[in-house]
Amino acid sequence: MRVITSIFIITLVLFSVFTYAYVDANLSYLKILYTGYYFTHRILLASFYIVLIAVLFACFYFFTQHQNGAGLAKHSGKHKLNLKKIIVFTIIATIFAYPAALAFDIFNYMTTAKVVFFYQENPYIIYPIEFINDPYLEFTRAVNKTALYGPFWILLTGIPYFAGLGNFVLTMFSFKLLVAGFFVGTVILLNKLDKNAVLFFALNPLVIIETLVSSHNDIVMMFFALLAFYLLRLNKLSSLMSFIASVMIKFSTVFLLPVFLLSIVGKIKKTYKYSAILMFIIFLLSPLREELYPWYAIWFIAFTAFLYRNRFLQNLVLVFSFGLMLRYIPYMASGNYLGVTPIIRNLLMIAPVVIFLVYSWLRMLKGNNG
Amino acid sequence: MLSKAEALKIENLDLMRNLYLHTIILATILLLYAAKSALAQSSYVLPYPSFMPGSIFYKLNLIKEEVLKYWYFGDFGQFTYNLKQSDKYLVEAKTLFDYKQYLLANTALQKSGKYFEKIYPNLLSAKKNGKKFAEKETMLREAAQKHTEDLTKLKSTVPSVFDWTPERESPTTLNLLESLDASIKLRVKRL
Repeated sequence: MRVITSIFIITLVLFSVFTYAYVDANLSYLKILYTGYYFTHRILLASFYIVLIAVLFACFYFFTQHQNGAGLAKHSGKHKLNLKKIIVFTIIATIFAYPAALAFDIFNYMTTAKVVFFYQENPYIIYPIEFINDPYLEFTRAVNKTALYGPFWILLTGIPYFAGLGNFVLTMFSFKLLVAGFFVGTVILLNKLDKNAVLFFALNPLVIIETLVSSHNDIVMMFFALLAFYLLRLNKLSSLMSFIASVMIKFSTVFLLPVFLLSIVGKIKKTYKYSAILMFIIFLLSPLREELYPWYAIWFIAFTAFLYRNRFLQNLVLVFSFGLMLRYIPYMASGNYLGVTPIIRNLLMIAPVVIFLVYSWLRMLKGNNG
Repeated sequence: MLSKAEALKIENLDLMRNLYLHTIILATILLLYAAKSALAQSSYVLPYPSFMPGSIFYKLNLIKEEVLKYWYFGDFGQFTYNLKQSDKYLVEAKTLFDYKQYLLANTALQKSGKYFEKIYPNLLSAKKNGKKFAEKETMLREAAQKHTEDLTKLKSTVPSVFDWTPERESPTTLNLLESLDASIKLRVKRL
């Protein structure tokens, strides 16, 4: 297991290095690191990406198979799996990764924070593009849109914004630290709720890459959602406040309201199962608003982590997570969002799931015959 | 040597030629002026009329207006808010003038002017805070032009003075033309 762990951490370090191939041409603050490889070596980079992702998911598969229900506690014996140590190394390995290799959301968070805390304007009314000549406009996407996230998230971004002391690089890594902090918080919460749920969430490469590398705020939303469920037993008002905080981050968790309300009155069992189902439905419906982004999977993975007794389901989610991470490949390889890219993207996402289902079916048939 | 009659004929011809020339020049100037006037029509679009006084929703809108004042914080936010309100009340005034509700129309006109006056200081504040506002200044100029056009049109349809005599209340003399002139003057400053 030590070998697998080492491979996992080394691959994460390599992935972090790999992200710097995608430093934006217009990002003057990191000009020294700009190589332009993502223009000139598309296929090579896409191939690297496939290998790195495949290795990470293979390691994750071994971890899940190895899990024996000890959570964050130390295992003993020859095959010990020190989950706490792996998580710490995972954070160290990824915290310095360039966060805009796969998505540009972090720049959007930073620019919105700048609109509020520097320009002191309401980001729900004023577009970032209205601040003519602002240097952030050169590399931020969706500057012609008002704030996309909830007010609580915007309030929270004040912490990394001021921690950055006006320095772009410091601000960017402060944002990364904030998100990493919520990742740690989520892991601790999972450990408190059910020790066995930790591994499936914390070591899932999709969760790691989308949270610790790309710094998506979905983890913050899920932290408060899980905190709401955790506080249910202790203090219902605090629990409700936490639930509202979660909704005020990114709105998606509002769909957990039926489960949450039924949990308050104690009329529901299998809370996590129904939460996972609801979040998965919302995940599937997300293309109605925009498109199926891989990091939206964090919404249901957080709850699927509790369903470890259902091996088939967890393996299915693992394979689907892998498929979702493959969605990045067509754009990486072609540099084109249009044409056949969306079709290939969907095929790549579905293919591992189909293969897994066929394999499981054949195995089942073989078992029955045997 | 030309005879007197021939000289007179030539002089008349010159006069005619000058007259033609002047007519053509004048026609060209008029045509160009008309074209210019047509082109000068502001492309700025005013909003649809909202709820009118007397409606319960109008009162709710007044509350909303007060709340939104705080929601639209910041220099650009306040710029947007004041311009929106000024536009809204101008449209309200126009509609009420059409229905000869002069007292209410005059109040709406005053409100529109009050908000319009607040717009430019927001840009000055933005400048002080290091924000570039060239686009907003253009927007304000276009708005001022549109407001001026509409207010000028109103001048021809509205009585200069009107005695408003409501039931069981004391009458009010409304100097509508004066009011409109004052409103136009406010806008012209920003052209």
